[in-house]
Formats: sequence, C-alpha cells, structure tokens
Amino acid sequence: MSTLESIATKVRAGERLGFEEGVALFQHPDLLAVGQLANLVRERLHGDRAYFNRNMRLEVTNVCVASCLFCSFAKLEEGSPGARTMKLEEAWRELEVRMSDPPSEIHIVNGLHPGLPFSYYEELLAGFKRIKPDVHMKCFTAVEIHFFAQHYGMSHEEVLTRLMRAGLGSLPGGGAEIFHDEVRSRISSDKATADEYLEVHRTAHRLGLRTNATMLYGHIETFEHRVDHLLRLRALQDETHGLQAFIPLAFHPDGNGMKNLPAPTAVDDLRTLAVSRLLLDNVEHLKAYWVSMTPKIAQMGLLFGADDIDGTIVHETIYSAAGSTSPSGLGYDELVRLIREAGRIPVERDTLYRVVREHAREALPEAAFKVRDRKAEKHLVLL
Amino acid sequence: MTALVDRAILAAGLGPIAEARRTGDLARVQQASVALGALDACDLLALGALADRIRKEEVGDVVRIFTRGAPLPGADVVVLSAEDANGSSSRGTLLRRVAFARITGPLRARIVVDWASVGLELAQVALGFGASELSGPVVTRRGLPIAEDRTQKVKGAGLVSSQLLKKRELAVLVGIAGREAVFDDGTDERHAIAEEGTALEHS
Repeated sequence: MSTLESIATKVRAGERLGFEEGVALFQHPDLLAVGQLANLVRERLHGDRAYFNRNMRLEVTNVCVASCLFCSFAKLEEGSPGARTMKLEEAWRELEVRMSDPPSEIHIVNGLHPGLPFSYYEELLAGFKRIKPDVHMKCFTAVEIHFFAQHYGMSHEEVLTRLMRAGLGSLPGGGAEIFHDEVRSRISSDKATADEYLEVHRTAHRLGLRTNATMLYGHIETFEHRVDHLLRLRALQDETHGLQAFIPLAFHPDGNGMKNLPAPTAVDDLRTLAVSRLLLDNVEHLKAYWVSMTPKIAQMGLLFGADDIDGTIVHETIYSAAGSTSPSGLGYDELVRLIREAGRIPVERDTLYRVVREHAREALPEAAFKVRDRKAEKHLVLL
Repeated sequence: MTALVDRAILAAGLGPIAEARRTGDLARVQQASVALGALDACDLLALGALADRIRKEEVGDVVRIFTRGAPLPGADVVVLSAEDANGSSSRGTLLRRVAFARITGPLRARIVVDWASVGLELAQVALGFGASELSGPVVTRRGLPIAEDRTQKVKGAGLVSSQLLKKRELAVLVGIAGREAVFDDGTDERHAIAEEGTALEHS
C-alpha cells in the first residue's frame, strides 16, 4: 500500500495523522490526490457550506519595535517616513463612515508601538462599541498582547481582562509565523516566542475568548517546520478547544528583508490548505484568506479543504505593502459569487461562526450578471 | 496516478469517458460527456485528475511557454483566457474549461492558457487540470514590460538579464507544478529547474 493510500485509509476512518504523514503529504507529487483527501474531510465537517463575513480591517499604527524580516508594513520609529499612528477619532471615523452598511466585525492588527499608553487601546475598543454596540472586536494578535504585558508590566491575563472589559471579543491569529526556532530566530527574533504566542492563546481560551491561529509559509521554512507548526497548534487545541479557525498566510516578498525570495506559488497555496485540513483534525474551520492568496486561488481553496474565505475586509494594508496584487476589499456580492462559482453554498457568518444568512446554492446574484454582461458588451465592441 | 485518484474518477461517474478516451474513440467520449450533463456538474477535482492523466499520456510533462504571442487557435490548439473563466453562468471556472477541453478535445491537443489574462497563479494550477502550454508576455508582477537590455544584480552571478530572471521564475513555477518548462521564443531554452533556476531565485 502506498503512503498516500495508507493516509487515505486513516483519513476515511477518522484517525489522526502524524508528523511523517504530514511531511509525506507536503511532498506528494499528486496535488489533486492530496486535495481530494482534504475535500473529503472538509465536506464531512461542513458539507457544501462556505463561510464569509462582513468585516473591516484596521491598522491604527504601523510603528513597531520588532524588526521581522518578512514585514513590509512596520516602521521602526514614530516620525520616520511612512510611519503613521491614527488618532482615536480618526480610527472611529472609519466605522462611522460605514454605518450605512456596517461591518459585523472590526479586525485590528498593529505594530508594537512603544510610545502609546495602554489606555489608548482600551479607549479605542470602547469608542467603537459606543458607535456600534453589537460590533465584534477581533483585535490584537497574541504578539501584541504579549508586548502589552511586557511593556505595561502586566500579566497576559490582566491585559486580556482589561481589553475584554473595553469590548474585546476575540483574538485574530497573526504573529504565529513559523514556530520552530530554527526559522523563528532568523525571521522574527525580537518579539513573542512560539511558547509565548501559544501561552497567550491558552490564557485567552481560559478566559472564554475564541481565537484564530495562522502560519506564515513560503519563505525559508521547510515542510518539516510547517508540520511541526501545525502539530503544536493541534496540541494546544486538544488542551483548550479554543481555536476556531486556522489561516495559512502566504509570504509576500516586496519591500521586506526577504525580498530576494520568490513568493509561494498557487500550487503551494493549495497544498498547504489541503495538508492543514488533514492535520488539524480538531480545528473546525480552515480559511482561504483571499488577501494573501488572491481571490481566484482562495476560491479554488474551497475545493482543497478550506470552508471559509474571510470577509469584505474593506481596507487592508499589510499585504498590499508586501506587494500583494489582491484588491484591498471585496464586495458582498463578489464574495457570494466567488463561493457559488466554486460550487459551494455561501453562508454569511458572524465572527463566532453563527449563521447570519445562508444563501441559495445556485443562481448568480444580479450584480454578477451585470458585471458579466458589461464585460461581454465591451468585448463585442472591441471585436 | 494513485488508486485514490482512480476511485475518485470512477466515483464522479467519469469511468466511461476515461475508457473511451483511452481507446481514442472521441465519438464515445462525446456521447458519455453528454450523458453526464456536459461535465458541468461533475466534481472538479475528479475532472481535473482525469484531464491530467490524459495530458500525461498524450503529450507528456513538457510545458511549452510562449512569451512572444500565443499560438493561433486551430483544430488541435485551444487557447483559454479570462473570458473562458467568466463567461459561464455556473461553476464556470477556467479550470473546468481547461479540463473539459483536454477530456473532450482532439487527441494530443495543445491546451494553451494565457497567463496575461488569468494570472500566473491560476495558470500554474491549470497545468494540473490538463493544460500543456502557457503563453503571455514577460512582465513584472505589476504587469509592466521588462526591457530586453534591463539587468539586475544577483548575488554570486553579477548582472543578469531581468528577462532571463523572469523566465527562470516561470520555469520554477512550472517545476513546482511537477513539469518541465521549454521556452518557445526562438531560444528553445530548457531550464534545469531544480539546480540553476532555484539556486538563482534564492541567491
């Protein structure tokens, strides 16, 4: 029996895969076969449903004391070219101007700014809640929470408790990069370690927060490092059951310390999604983050294990700074169309995966027809 | 191809088409396709797996890359671009069209995907769904043309032609998809992907 056949037998039986099997899946030449297996698990968990939400991304400061090699977003000092920190009123304004079609979630990720008081972050959250009390605040990566704890002299628990009191609803997954020290020490040595990242999530779960987790792949890491990363997350999840989604993030090389490396290709994107689905048997949702892998490949990801495509985003700057050619936001109808054309059922969710609206399976939204007709018309004129 | 994929092809109802194609009976392929609803509702991964198998058997692993204009469409040349991805009402992905063209098209057909319109990412994935050739201009990631005399400094290699670097990037992309790139731009350049291309990309 081939390795893939024996893995398939275990997957069909719902048995857990190990380290060697994870590496074998990354190395297997037949991408579609690995995809078939991941799709089996994905459909077992979610059928044809594919999730998305109405969210808004915000980065209130790009000033950061960390010097991660892969980052094109951060500026080391306030006042240096391109450095920017929003006044609270500016940040709140971003929501106020969108109140005619408001997001259900605000997703905030920032640089590690050494000069702001902790009250800035508390007031930031409280202000958004004043404007829209039911908005879900998914804010601050575990790396930020750890920085706050160190910088303001508090424990992780104290930081999280104070932020929860101000309106924090859950933690995003950023900052995980690659856990293995052979990689982490080279690409992001001056921020939270892997153990500290995991400890923040552990504490958050104990306090009742749900969190996401990520993995930045496609730079200097090996397949073994990726599998190690996934298995560490799986072990945390066995312990706490607090991770709700895993999001593989593709490395983008423009304008950062690893600009000589090529970006991972679409084949790697799809394979990473598929292997993640197969190894993370205890994490319910797998996200094909369209900003990181382009909308078209994220759409394909829905056939390679992913059940979520993220949301409307509105305003993304971290990946665009690193040369991503993805748009900075997608319309609601466009997300519905992407999902439908992958043969899935679009399901609008809130941050905690409660269903807001389940769309019909077939029939394109009217807006998509209009776009298509307009393109066809233009094409005919050119001919 | 694994037994796992064999089973997926059979489970998707593609067995009769696979058998007809293997014997070279295109009329039977068409009949079986119609019986299956023109393949529109078929599992895309199984469809891709069958198309990939046919591609491997009929035209092998070499991917011809055209950087100075796509071959003209003809009886055995199918050129697919973004219109083919957008023009269908449901599940109209480019990949389904590529697979469909490979499965129901002429024997040893040349299935060309235009990366200028579909993007390099999707073009690379299309190689696993039956595509055998790629076409498009040598441009930067932002779509700007790269002048022939433009060079870049590469550690350990001195000044290297930017066009050559881009071509090597394309060759690596094809290599990662498990195929071998051959440039059809007058040079017929065959890249040693694993050694030369990757080493240069990472230097």
